[in-house]
Amino acid sequence: MMYAFSYHAPISLSEARKRFEESEDAAYISGGHTLLPTMKNRLAAPSDLVSLGQIEELQGIAVAEGCLTIGAAETHASVAASDAVTGRIPALAGLAGSIGDVQVRHRGTIGGSVANNDPAADYPSAVLALDARLHTSERVIEASDFFQGVYTTALEPGEILTKVGFRIPDTAGYAKMRNPASRYALAAAFVARFGDSVRVAITGASEDGVFRWTEAEERLSKDFSAGALAGLTLNEADMNEDIHASRGYRAHLAALCTRKAVELQGRLTLL
Amino acid sequence: MTQKPGKLRAEFRTELPSGWAFDEIEARIGPIRDQLFKQIGQPVRRKEDRRLVTGRGRFTDDFSVPGECYAALVRSPYPHARIKGIDPSAALELPGVLAVYTGVDALADGLGPIPHSPVPSTKFDVRLTAPDGEAPFIGPHLLLPIDKARHVGEAVAVVIADTKARAEDAAERVDVDWEELPHVTDSLEAIRPGSPRLWDEVPDNTLVCSHFGDADATDAAFQSAAHRVRAKFHINRVTAVTIEPRAALADYDKASARSTLYAGSGGAVRQKRELASVLGIDPDDLRVLSYDVGGNFGARNRVYVEFGLILWASRKLERPVKFTATRSEAFLTDYQGRDLHTTVELALDENGQFLAMRADNVSNVGARCVSLSPLSKGSGLITGSYHIPVAHLVARAVFTNTMCTQAYRSSGRPEVTYAIERLVEIAAEQCGFDPIDLRRRNLVSADQMPYRNAVGAIYDSGAYEENMDKAMALFQWPDIAARRDDARARGKLLGVGLANYVESSIGSPVERAEIAVSPDGEVEVVIGTQPSGQGHETSFAQVVADMLQMPVEAVTITLGDTDIVSVGGGSHSGRSMRHAGTVMTMASADLLAEARRRAGAEFGTPAEDLAFEDGAFKCRATNRFLTLSDLSTATAPLAVARTNEMHAPVFPNGTAICEVEIDPDSCQIEITRYASVDDVGRCINPLIVHGQSHGGIAQGVGQAMWEDCAIDPSSGQQIAGSLLDYGMPRADNVPSFDCEIAEVLSPTNPLGIKAGGEGGTTPALATVTLAVLDALRPLGVRDISMPITPERIWQALASAREANMQELVP
Ligand SMILES: Cc1cc2nc3c(=O)[nH]c(=O)nc-3n(C[C@H](O)[C@H](O)[C@H](O)COP(=O)(O)OP(=O)(O)OC[C@H]3O[C@@H](n4cnc5c(N)ncnc54)[C@H](O)[C@@H]3O)c2cc1C
Repeated sequence: MMYAFSYHAPISLSEARKRFEESEDAAYISGGHTLLPTMKNRLAAPSDLVSLGQIEELQGIAVAEGCLTIGAAETHASVAASDAVTGRIPALAGLAGSIGDVQVRHRGTIGGSVANNDPAADYPSAVLALDARLHTSERVIEASDFFQGVYTTALEPGEILTKVGFRIPDTAGYAKMRNPASRYALAAAFVARFGDSVRVAITGASEDGVFRWTEAEERLSKDFSAGALAGLTLNEADMNEDIHASRGYRAHLAALCTRKAVELQGRLTLL
Repeated sequence: MTQKPGKLRAEFRTELPSGWAFDEIEARIGPIRDQLFKQIGQPVRRKEDRRLVTGRGRFTDDFSVPGECYAALVRSPYPHARIKGIDPSAALELPGVLAVYTGVDALADGLGPIPHSPVPSTKFDVRLTAPDGEAPFIGPHLLLPIDKARHVGEAVAVVIADTKARAEDAAERVDVDWEELPHVTDSLEAIRPGSPRLWDEVPDNTLVCSHFGDADATDAAFQSAAHRVRAKFHINRVTAVTIEPRAALADYDKASARSTLYAGSGGAVRQKRELASVLGIDPDDLRVLSYDVGGNFGARNRVYVEFGLILWASRKLERPVKFTATRSEAFLTDYQGRDLHTTVELALDENGQFLAMRADNVSNVGARCVSLSPLSKGSGLITGSYHIPVAHLVARAVFTNTMCTQAYRSSGRPEVTYAIERLVEIAAEQCGFDPIDLRRRNLVSADQMPYRNAVGAIYDSGAYEENMDKAMALFQWPDIAARRDDARARGKLLGVGLANYVESSIGSPVERAEIAVSPDGEVEVVIGTQPSGQGHETSFAQVVADMLQMPVEAVTITLGDTDIVSVGGGSHSGRSMRHAGTVMTMASADLLAEARRRAGAEFGTPAEDLAFEDGAFKCRATNRFLTLSDLSTATAPLAVARTNEMHAPVFPNGTAICEVEIDPDSCQIEITRYASVDDVGRCINPLIVHGQSHGGIAQGVGQAMWEDCAIDPSSGQQIAGSLLDYGMPRADNVPSFDCEIAEVLSPTNPLGIKAGGEGGTTPALATVTLAVLDALRPLGVRDISMPITPERIWQALASAREANMQELVP
């Protein structure tokens, strides 16, 4: 059972900010699928929960000027089913549809996932590979500045992520090996092509969370083929290790996922 | 089609112990003719499902009593630690906190340990003893320990408060002064000299050491054998993960001095008996209610300390007290399953005839011994489905600093099936035999039945080779090569694993049925089994309906209230259909005898001249008839009760085959085909039996592929404490199954029933493992441990590559 807390459901961004500032030790709650399990296990004890579920500024999916913008409160299920997403970046829709299970996808949100920056979460790889801009209640943050190590982001206390603006690539692919228990990524690669430049982001594998695999990017920019990656490996020592996968296996999987994502652009591939 | 067992052959007849075969004369039931069966054998849809799927089930946490308060436990964070003191003062200061009790308080109130009776006790169970031949020391299971905690999660104090949240808040504030002690979690470590000791009474942690079979004859056979093979396996520890976590609500009525406990379990009668003993009260002063149960698999058969604690607290506080475990508590402190180390050896002659077997089985019982069923069941079945003339087994049970283990679906049998089937496969490979031919050559044949194996178990009936042939046909065995080629073309490695199995279903020997027919034609049956999804309300009704020739809808099954159900062994070890079926058949015969007597008196004709047809006694001379309801009146209802004691075990058996495809690059593994033939004896309801087979297979596959209560040996902590880390079978990762039911009747009970709840699980660990090894064999992999995750496959392939490289170096 959770510790006692107060619950607020503001209907505007400013009200949410105000609630947060006025509370002793507040936390925003979006889908709650990361926060609530933590609270139930008594590993988090916010005095106040400020819900982001009723705020209009955090909703909607729109396309404009080469950019696909998704409101922070959009659920994984709505992203997976959105015509705007499936039509522009099918790999991103596939990614959203591969998260957890049906219940998780209908509650969990893109904003919660990105703000939480779990080292095994799916979205951070798309944010990095699609060179996204993170809109907040205060400012706009570039993807390259946003993720700052496991469970850490550039968000200041109280700052609300409002929208994620993905650059629409020529093509993109996402390949994922799922953890058999949780279905988070054991390792996954998001590979996006923008003209001659290629961006590769790896999630699930590293001890420090999501990262860009620049060696792979360089090779793929010259020759966009799985073959171009032959012999290229990640450093095992930088990888994460747990009961589900060793460092060596994660390094192997991350490279394999990258090759698969190159080979199978325009979709999600589950290994 | 059912098959009658072969006639008892003369040379075996003398060997059969008295009371083994069912005797219809002695049982006073008369002959049972298949021709009368209208409901038995039909796929009648489950009567209980409408209630369960429309939210009208009655699970424990659904019950509430006005004024109820809540219990939370203070649990040990250490695997082994002395309790130097417990200070509840900070907890007691919180608002709403009613009490904090420790083991010292429990002792002062005279509470006793849970009387677990772990040693299986029917006449046909193997005899497990301490190394000195005496009854084993089991480690008294006090509700709260006073000396030390012996596993992570062990409760050392209970907090009662007016809300659940307050109880949990207060539990965090109970200050326990711990002194950490060295710990040991693996059973092979625990028996090494100098290992940390859990109980002073058992210095080497070995509470049971028994020998079975003939050591000298086995040695002799090994010495002269043409081939000998040997292997070591660990069958990993798993937990039940019932959807409904364990829960209880204790309500004390001061006026009558009686307690009521709402607690879903595997059998309310045991809970009542053992909890009354813990509390030191008259069993009549305790009523236990166990209605709908959201999963058991063995984990709920035994008494939990929390049940005793809330009963005690509710009597002290004179308030109802509730406890519902969280999922985390369930992972930590539900009774767990398996955890067997086994070393097995097989001797063969030059033609592949099995000559002898040795086994050394070490069972990890955890911090105290709750049940020896897994070790015991496995001990009787080490030779599996094969005729092995002599064998020798050492069976040991060992304490460790882990949660207690208990019988878990198909207790003990998947472990030994895994061992013998892998050993046979290793023998085939190392000695150059075809693995199917080798099995065929050594299977116990139908005309050897009833067959006494080398450690003394008497297999009742079965057509083992026919099972194997049928399963291979179902699996489309001849097409394997083509499927393998097809998989290879897709870059996948295909593997097939076949396992034969035989298991023993014994269980608590006593069961009682009360049957009453009301004047308006309703039949009520009171029985002491406890379903948790097995459909007793339907299949039991089918039996009584046929016996009394009444419609199945007229029959209601009542279970789970100890004020109504006085005797009953609960549901475990595949006992329910067989024990209930038998005693219901007997009680039905009694009821018909009484009804016949009444009808005779009514007609004024000798009772034995009446015919019983379509639920009515007919007087041939007059065309008059009387139905059972006609013969029952409000003042003299037609009602009988019969208690039956039955010891002979039955041996469900069969063959299962699994096919997997492995991607050698990602190491992802997928089950692509699964077929099984299960001889359940007489099948009362094939719809329900198939459901049991499917669930059983999923549960076995789960252990083979995902489930694991891994413990970090250095910290003693369980690594997978939630569903984020503990992988489970799901609808999308198990395939559709091709299951067929075989019905070779058992001669041990009137309906010829064996059991159908565990046969899916028993061979599944072996079939999955053998399929994976078959797929990986060309790449040099010879061994892999469960659960077989992609990581393990990757490691196995890496080691095999390394070994191959070394072989190439001169
Ligand atoms: C069983 C299970 C399986 C899962 N499997 C996967 C998986 O396969 N892949 C995957 O990627 N994830 C998985 N998840 C995580 C899931 O996607 C979460 O829902 C998601 O990571 C968090 O989103 P949420 O909306 O639930 O956030 P919440 O739990 O509500 O919040 C998470 C954190 O982010 C903060 N936060 C939320 N929204 C904002 C915002 N707009 N601005 C600033 N801070 C904010 C909160 O304060 C909190 O600290 C799984 C979860 C579960 C329970």
